[in-house]
Amino acid sequence: MSLPRQLHVRFFAVLREQAGCSALEIETAARTPAELYTELQKSHPLTFPATLLRVSLNERYADMTAPLAAGDRVVFIPPVAGG
Amino acid sequence: MFELTTTPIDSAALAARLAAPDAGAAVIFEGRVRNHHLGRPVTRLEYEAYDDLARIEGEAIVRETEQLYPGTHVLCVHRTGTLQIGEAAIWIGVASAHRSAGFAACRHVIEEIKRRLPIWKKEYHPDGAAEWVNCTAKAVAHPALAAYHARQSALPEVGPAGQARLAAARVLVVGVGGLGCPAALYLTGAGVGRLTLVDGGRVELSNLHRQILYTTAEVGAPKTLAAAARLRLHNPAVEIVTQEGELTATNARTLVAGQTVVLDCSDNFTTRFILHDACHALGVPLVQAAVHRFEGTLDVFRRGEGGCMHCLWTGRNAADLETADNCAGGPVFGPAVGVLGIMQAAEALKLLLSLESDAAHQTRLINLLDGSMLTIERAARPGCPVCSRIDQLPALPSATAVESSPLFLDAVQVTALGATAKIVFLVESADAGQPISYPAMQIVPGHALASVREFAAAGPVVLSCRYGLRSAAIARLLRSEGLPQVYALTGPPPANPSSV
Repeated sequence: MSLPRQLHVRFFAVLREQAGCSALEIETAARTPAELYTELQKSHPLTFPATLLRVSLNERYADMTAPLAAGDRVVFIPPVAGG
Repeated sequence: MFELTTTPIDSAALAARLAAPDAGAAVIFEGRVRNHHLGRPVTRLEYEAYDDLARIEGEAIVRETEQLYPGTHVLCVHRTGTLQIGEAAIWIGVASAHRSAGFAACRHVIEEIKRRLPIWKKEYHPDGAAEWVNCTAKAVAHPALAAYHARQSALPEVGPAGQARLAAARVLVVGVGGLGCPAALYLTGAGVGRLTLVDGGRVELSNLHRQILYTTAEVGAPKTLAAAARLRLHNPAVEIVTQEGELTATNARTLVAGQTVVLDCSDNFTTRFILHDACHALGVPLVQAAVHRFEGTLDVFRRGEGGCMHCLWTGRNAADLETADNCAGGPVFGPAVGVLGIMQAAEALKLLLSLESDAAHQTRLINLLDGSMLTIERAARPGCPVCSRIDQLPALPSATAVESSPLFLDAVQVTALGATAKIVFLVESADAGQPISYPAMQIVPGHALASVREFAAAGPVVLSCRYGLRSAAIARLLRSEGLPQVYALTGPPPANPSSV
C-alpha cells in the first residue's frame, strides 16, 4: 500500500453538479486516477460511469491507470461537447 | 492561434485577422446555437470550459492541423458562458494558398475540437429542464452510433459477443501505405477498440493511386496524422493512436506488447524481420502481406503453428532479401495492395473472433493478372533457430546469420552455376503465347511443384517467373523442404538468352 498523498481535484459540468463542488483537496492512497475516482464515489454522489471518463493530470490527458504523484492536479473529463 | 472568449464572437474582426497576401482561399466555419436537439426544443446553451487544458489542447489542435495541411494558417475562437439561439459558439478560419487544403483543415479543426477540447454544454428547454449534452443517462446507455455495427454483429459468427471482443481488441498496423490504408479502414469499420498506426513517411502524390486514406490535400503531411484523421471520421468509436516514425529494433517490443494482433503492412524486409521477431517473442499473432506489381503473398504467423518467418526464409537476413524482393519505390498495381490489405484485415478479424482458419500454416499467393490464388502449405522447419528455441528467444538477434548460399541470383551468378544448372520458368495462364525460350530452360505451370522438386533433387535449379514473386515464394518453400540447390532469379528473365 502506497503512502497517502495530497492531490488537487477539480470537477466540471455533470461531475461538478454531482459532486456538489468544483474543487477539493484530498489526502489519498489511491495509486491511479481510476482508484481515485472509485474512492471519490464513496464520499461523493458521483454516479457518472468511470468507463466513460477521461482524465487529465497537470493539464495533460493521461491514462486512467497512470501513476499519481503528490501535488498532481487531477481533472476527470466527462464526454465533451464543444463547438 | 486558439483563443477562448466570454464575449460575443465578432466574425468580421476575426476574418480581417485572417487576411494574408499569399492566401488564395479563406474557409470560415461558424458553429451556432440552434433551437432544437434530438427532437426537443432548446431555448439557450451554457458552455463551461476547463480553461487551462482547453487552451493547451486548442493550440495543439491548431498546430497539428497546420502540420497535417501544409501551408494553412488557422485561427480559432471558442466562446464560453450563456449563449442565446443564433449566437456563434465557435469560429474557425483557415487561410491557405488553395481551397482543397483549406476546406480539409477547417473540417479537421472542428472534428478535433468536438472530440477532445474539454468544453461542455448544458441545454435549457422551454419547460425549465436542463441537461449536459452527451452526459445524460440516455446518451450513456444508447450511444449515437449503436446501429453502426448492426449488419456485422448480425452475422452468427460475430454476434454481440464477437462485437464485444472486437471492441476489446488492440491492433497494431505497421506501415500505413498501400496495404495499411485499406487494412486500417476495414479494421476501423469493424469496430476494433484501439488501432495503433506506425509510419515515419509523409504523403506523396505518387502514393495516392493506391493509398486510399489520403487525398491531394494531405500531400506533404505525416501519414500517421492524415490516416488517423480520416479513420476517426470513419468510426468515432475506435481509438486511433499514432506513432510517427519507423519501427526499429529498439521500439518494436514496446509497440507490440499488449496488442491482440499485429499487421505487417511494411514494404521492406528489415522491418518485417524486426516486427516478426517481436511478435514471435511476445506470442502476438502476426498477419503479414507483401506485394510485387500484380502479385502478393499473405502469411499469418502464430507461435507454435506452421513455422515462422525464419523457417520460410531459411536463415537469410533482411539485407540479403532486400536487394531482390523489395517493392518499395517500384511499380505497383493499385488493386493488388488493396486486395492484400483487405485480406490482412479479414485474417486479423478472424483471429480476433477465433474463427476457424488454415491461414496460420499456409502461404497464399494471389495474382490479379491471371486471377489465380495458390495456397502453399507451410510447416515449421526442423532445427529452425527461432521456432525450435522459443524459450531462448529474447537472446536472439532480429535476423539470424546468412546461410552460405544465397536464395536470389542475378543473371551473372546464374552463369557461374555452370552448364548443369536448370532454369525453370513458371508460367501462368496469362503468360500463354508469350515467346520465351532459353537454352536449357524448362517451362512449367506455376502449380506443378512436383516436377520442380524432381529437377531440384537432381541439380541446381533457378526459378523464374513473370514478376519474380511466385518464383521467390516457391524457391523459399523448396529450400525449407531441404533442397539446397534451389535459387530464384532476380527480376524477369533477360530478353537476350545469351546473357544467361
